[in-house]
Amino acid sequence: MDRLLDATPGSKVLLLGNEAIARGAIEAGVAVATTYPGTPASEIGDALARVAKDAGIYFEYSVNEMVATEMAIGAAASGVRALVSMKHVGLNVAADALMTFAYTGTRGGFVLVTADDPSCHSSQNEQDNRYYALLGGIPLLEPSSPQECYEMTKEAFAISEKLELPVIVRTTTRVSHVRGPVTVGEIVPGPKKKEFVKDPTRFVTVPAVARARHLVLLERLRQAELLASQSPLNKTLKIGSGGRLGIITSSAAFNYSMDAASTLGLSIDVLKLGFSYPLPRETVTDFLKGHDSVLIVEELEPVLETGIRALAQHESLHPKILGKEDGLLPRAHEFDQAIVASALSKAFDVSGGGAVEGVVDLQGLPVRPPVLCSGCPHRATYFAVNKATNKKAIFASDIGCYTLGLSPPYSAADLLVCMGSSVGTAGGLAKVNDQPIIAFIGDSTFFHAGIPGLINAVHNGHKFLLMILDNRTTAMTGHQPHPGSTRGPSCCDITAVSIEDVVKGCGVKWLKVVDPYDINLTAETVREALAQPGVTVIIARRECALIAGRDEKGAIIEKHRIDQEVCKKCKTCVDRFQCPAILSVDKVQTIDEALCAGCGVCAQVCPHKAIKGVM
Amino acid sequence: MADIYLVGVGGQGIITASRIIGDAAIFAGKNVLLSETHGMAQRGGSVVCTARIGDVNSPLIPDGKADLILSFELLETMRALCKANKNTLVISSTEKIVPLSVSTKKLRYPTIEEIGVQVRKVAKDFLSIDTRKFAEDSAVPMSSNIVIVGALAGTGITGIDRRHFEKAIEMNISRWVPENLDAFAKGFETTYSWRHA
Repeated sequence: MDRLLDATPGSKVLLLGNEAIARGAIEAGVAVATTYPGTPASEIGDALARVAKDAGIYFEYSVNEMVATEMAIGAAASGVRALVSMKHVGLNVAADALMTFAYTGTRGGFVLVTADDPSCHSSQNEQDNRYYALLGGIPLLEPSSPQECYEMTKEAFAISEKLELPVIVRTTTRVSHVRGPVTVGEIVPGPKKKEFVKDPTRFVTVPAVARARHLVLLERLRQAELLASQSPLNKTLKIGSGGRLGIITSSAAFNYSMDAASTLGLSIDVLKLGFSYPLPRETVTDFLKGHDSVLIVEELEPVLETGIRALAQHESLHPKILGKEDGLLPRAHEFDQAIVASALSKAFDVSGGGAVEGVVDLQGLPVRPPVLCSGCPHRATYFAVNKATNKKAIFASDIGCYTLGLSPPYSAADLLVCMGSSVGTAGGLAKVNDQPIIAFIGDSTFFHAGIPGLINAVHNGHKFLLMILDNRTTAMTGHQPHPGSTRGPSCCDITAVSIEDVVKGCGVKWLKVVDPYDINLTAETVREALAQPGVTVIIARRECALIAGRDEKGAIIEKHRIDQEVCKKCKTCVDRFQCPAILSVDKVQTIDEALCAGCGVCAQVCPHKAIKGVM
Repeated sequence: MADIYLVGVGGQGIITASRIIGDAAIFAGKNVLLSETHGMAQRGGSVVCTARIGDVNSPLIPDGKADLILSFELLETMRALCKANKNTLVISSTEKIVPLSVSTKKLRYPTIEEIGVQVRKVAKDFLSIDTRKFAEDSAVPMSSNIVIVGALAGTGITGIDRRHFEKAIEMNISRWVPENLDAFAKGFETTYSWRHA
């Protein structure tokens, strides 16, 4: 039983924004869906992976966002409907494919979902992916709620087929990760197969074709703008009795605008843009004409604001347009009701905006940042590497749970920019530094973007150690499978690709596999690797402690305990190993058995052999 | 209308609890919006969910605007107080998950009495519940989060009938359903009798 499929048409079900996108795609008769997991987009793929078999669709976790997009392009160019979803930075990886696909256009509906992350809740930047719509000439929809995630995904397929263009659905964390009621409709299965009809003057983008297709794209964008101006996704709502003041807004900012304006007791009109690129010029022009003063409320970049100011200039309209350029709203980090209320008060000279009543002094309160879990194999790896190098090395890190190794005592991350960057940056670091260079990359990230860097290092003779932290899963985003996994989504059989074979195939001559739970062997192997010329690879292989615990239900985990008679209170376990299960209160160190994962690594770390297993 | 701010530590079942609240609201014919913490922030870190019952657009609760703070862990109760006002009810589990910073930075985990003093300074009422004991009494040690949902239901603040919560539990919990319903009942009775005392 899965509420995603079982919900009867017309009924109201509680769905996560991301699940609502999945439901919308299923109802639209999607044939092929792909993704590479990334917060806050992951649950779109996870939901589809779960129901793919029963829904009769093909779903895959692709090796990266570029390939996921190309998979969807191949299917949609043949004429079936295809969905590809990713987090915002994933679109940087997929952009090469998407920018030119806008030229060829599509036959079947093609929808790309990008989930942006204002405030970087779980990301390395907070780029505004609406710019990709402008950059590529791709129609853009921006839902604000789970209900709209569902409706706009369906509508996106229809728009895509009408214009024969890819369509971007752009969410943010506060849209994707909001759960709310969704009234669902009928599931209408679409064609799952279509014969590709050859048309090289359209689909093979050699320069002569590309030049011609660019003109086609520009013409389609003109049609798209007319479609946007007639679209019910763009609508004016009244708060109070409406009036001569206005707000133009989209996405999550719409929600804050509505609540803030109501709280302030404003009488105001709100133009909500759901189909926001191409900017619906007619709709916006009418709204500007009907109002004296308009505040543009959008998170991150002034995309709407810039377009609307240009439109007003072009149409010689003179309402007061207010927004980020006036410093009323910030260009960084996500909004909330209070931020929008404060902007509204300043813009329209009304009082209010929510004073905070109680303030508690949280100074000195113990902080609780995310940490590596107890039993995490990465902690053991970092301990062993620090032991081997005495921290006299530069660490190129990558994207995954293991990035949490950046904080002391591991201090195992010195440079990180994007997926796969550990391998590429390690080469650059090695060229200009005399210290040993060690790159850390996860198994899923290695498949995603690490392989070209490794080939480059072998080919150009770079000297560094690449440690592939193989925990057998994509842990950070919710334990999705990757090409090295043996079990995939519900619909399909998969083949596990061996990391060893890939590494050897890249031309690496020195490769060893270790169990990071064996600290001494791992440290020794690191020393040995650093003494070699050229690029070396160690695969530190141990299953993620969260999965290992789950799969071995009923198996005996050897909990550990500190023998207080033997313990010398040296705090090595606390200061250098820092497992969340090891506590130090009033100078006494203990292990919380409820938190202990039973990895036993702390027993190797203790110089006095005071930590022992208890059955 | 009820704005509920849920806090705790990654792994305590807070998202499941908020889903149950959301389903119960829909069964009761009410509108509801929930926001959740996913991804990196969950790894043993502080976790926040919100549940807003009623006709609202935004899922977030601004500072000082929570009607109820529902905390799964004592220290996180303190951190949530920025959302409280003089009418806020604070319900907290007595569960303590000592963060690493207590061991490594020599920061002190406050006592429940100190936390109570701080809560009463800014909020209306403070109710602490030994959820772990109730959960163990119900024979499902993992059901502390369900005890908390019961405590919420017992306050009557949501205006959602008990049976809707029970149906939502049956829908969201796949194993040990009678035991979880028992844990729910224990939480319910605690706040119900407190309210009617």
